Amino acid sequence: MKKFLSTLFSATVLAGVVSTSSVVNAADELNVVMFGMPYTKGLAALADDFEAKTGIKANIDVIGQDVFENRITLSFTGKSGDIDVVHTPVIQVQRWVSAGWLKPITAEVDAMAVKSDIMAGPLDAYKINGEQWAVPYMAATGLMTYRKDILEEAGVEVPQTWEDMLSVAAKIHNDDTAAIAMRAVPGQGFNMFIFPMVMRAYGGKFFEDYTGGDLTPAINSPETLEALNVYMKLLNDYGPQGAGNFNFAEVQAAAQNGQIAFAVEGTGIAASLVDPEKSKFADKTGITLPPAGPAGRSPAIAVHGLGIPASAKNPELSAKFIEWAVSTETMTKIALAQPFSNFTTQPVAQNEEVVAKYSKVHPDFLTVQAEALNLAIGHYRPLLPEWPALGQAIGENINAALNGLSSPEEALEAAEQEMRDILGN
Amino acid sequence: MIDNTRSFRVKRVFGFGMMWVLLFFAALPTVWVLIMSFREQSVMFEAFWKSPLAVTLDNYLGITRSDFPKALLNSFICAGLSTLLAMIVGVPAGFALAKSRLSGKFYASWLLLLLRMAPPVGFVIPLFLLYVNAGLIDSYFGLIMAYMTLTLPLIVWSMWNSFAQVPDELIEAAIMDGASLGKAFLLVALPAARPGAVAAAILGFLIVWNDFFYALIITRSSTVTAPVAVMNFISYDSVDWGSIAVASIALTLPILPLMVIANRYIVQSLSGAVKG
Repeated sequence: MKKFLSTLFSATVLAGVVSTSSVVNAADELNVVMFGMPYTKGLAALADDFEAKTGIKANIDVIGQDVFENRITLSFTGKSGDIDVVHTPVIQVQRWVSAGWLKPITAEVDAMAVKSDIMAGPLDAYKINGEQWAVPYMAATGLMTYRKDILEEAGVEVPQTWEDMLSVAAKIHNDDTAAIAMRAVPGQGFNMFIFPMVMRAYGGKFFEDYTGGDLTPAINSPETLEALNVYMKLLNDYGPQGAGNFNFAEVQAAAQNGQIAFAVEGTGIAASLVDPEKSKFADKTGITLPPAGPAGRSPAIAVHGLGIPASAKNPELSAKFIEWAVSTETMTKIALAQPFSNFTTQPVAQNEEVVAKYSKVHPDFLTVQAEALNLAIGHYRPLLPEWPALGQAIGENINAALNGLSSPEEALEAAEQEMRDILGN
Repeated sequence: MIDNTRSFRVKRVFGFGMMWVLLFFAALPTVWVLIMSFREQSVMFEAFWKSPLAVTLDNYLGITRSDFPKALLNSFICAGLSTLLAMIVGVPAGFALAKSRLSGKFYASWLLLLLRMAPPVGFVIPLFLLYVNAGLIDSYFGLIMAYMTLTLPLIVWSMWNSFAQVPDELIEAAIMDGASLGKAFLLVALPAARPGAVAAAILGFLIVWNDFFYALIITRSSTVTAPVAVMNFISYDSVDWGSIAVASIALTLPILPLMVIANRYIVQSLSGAVKG
């Protein structure tokens, strides 16, 4: 029995020794939660810089996106105050604000010296009801990559419109190399990041008059139908096998393996396809803007930033962290250390080393990206609290049409009905 | 007598055939993951016979530079200590429940079963709020205590069963010979119930080792366990398939020897082996 008791005692002591009760919100510590992307990984690597500058220790947790969603939902709904700075995608900010999860930081941002250096468009994307809710650090846009060798061999030019794309695709598509792949999996960040590029190019829209405040669903229109038919024809007739369920990872893999000639993707994936270190076809790959349509060109845009949760216990420290994180100095370091070209702090683009680095990846890369940013509209995907639900519903119907589960007409009708149900009108 | 009839031989061949088909079907994902772990990122989804030479150790080297080994160690610490503590508390508890004439044993058994049956999501939200206020988020102590809610009922329940199969006469004889109750438990009852104890410990370890949900909610960067850390290889615009493959292998490997041992003891404990 003695032996048993002593074992019990030593085990308890051992448990006590290894337990490192981590400090939640100590006066000089900050907990930052972000999901993995080049900027956030680069920021985590610079945590010591922040401590050296301010004496404040930043625990920067960079996690998978699913893990992130679970953690923040639990933390915000439980008002636990265990997160001081949170990764805030612009596409979520309306929902978070209407749920009371974020703290308005207008005064804090106005006081930041770096404010005038941040691109106005992405910064304004975080303005709701006259208040600033987060500060952007990156704006990814939609770009198109193409295989120069395949186009040359077929004697065709880079398509400037979706109409051109259909005829080029018909010429180059074969059993070994499909013409094009795009995201098709349903989701507001998946097919609904890509499809609106086609939809808006044909003059399709989500609402009657979004900017004028008329939020009557208007997706079931002849323009969107034409766009959907183009998107479906491209993927069903000229896409690789299984294209109806591709996501960004499959599009990237298909391009890296030389299975497709065109990819219309976000900046991150497009950059990896023209980077010789990441793709063996990089030297044969060109980069340009996504095709236009009768209503012009509308590259996708996705803005990411940093916000302060409503339950954060020390907002002044959080604001200090954000100011450091978006400063030209920090951004430049990350742009040099990581594949991070879509920064929103403008002076970084003037840094010679940064320019040299991205010109080496591809000579046109930074200019094409800047052009796309100029063309992109802030509300490419509507900035509404209901957007995540709307995007999911529309995305599912678009995917159903693509995979032959419904006709394009039925899909748009169902999408519009579901939009009405979600918005309650 | 060996059956050599034609129909038996056909049946046997058919049986073996089915077994190999099923084995192939079950093992295919593991083999595929193993191949993926040695593939270069750029040819990850190309059929491996198309580029058999595009093999690399980069995925393995890359993972040693990531935070994953630390997460694997965390998994070991949490699974090991929560099982150990649950055994220290649960084995005597199982003995007491099996051998004493306590009243209310019936209720105790149901209460324990209820704990096992309740879905973790029922515990986790109150536990999370409690832990935030007590400063136990991202601590080994907090995580191990949370895991004991999984392992302790399992161990008490299965040890109760194992001790119930040890004949009372064996313990009574030891006490008649002058042993204390503690000694009778440690030297007589426990060795007799050893297969059950080993099986319970291994099952407890595996439950914690594979847990995702508790770790997702309770851990942060310093105590994150391997199943959650694997998810970190999926980022916003890329999926690091090579690292995911290596991580999956690293998560499976420690379980293999345990399964071999468990296999023997679980069979023994199920057949109620007690040496007289």
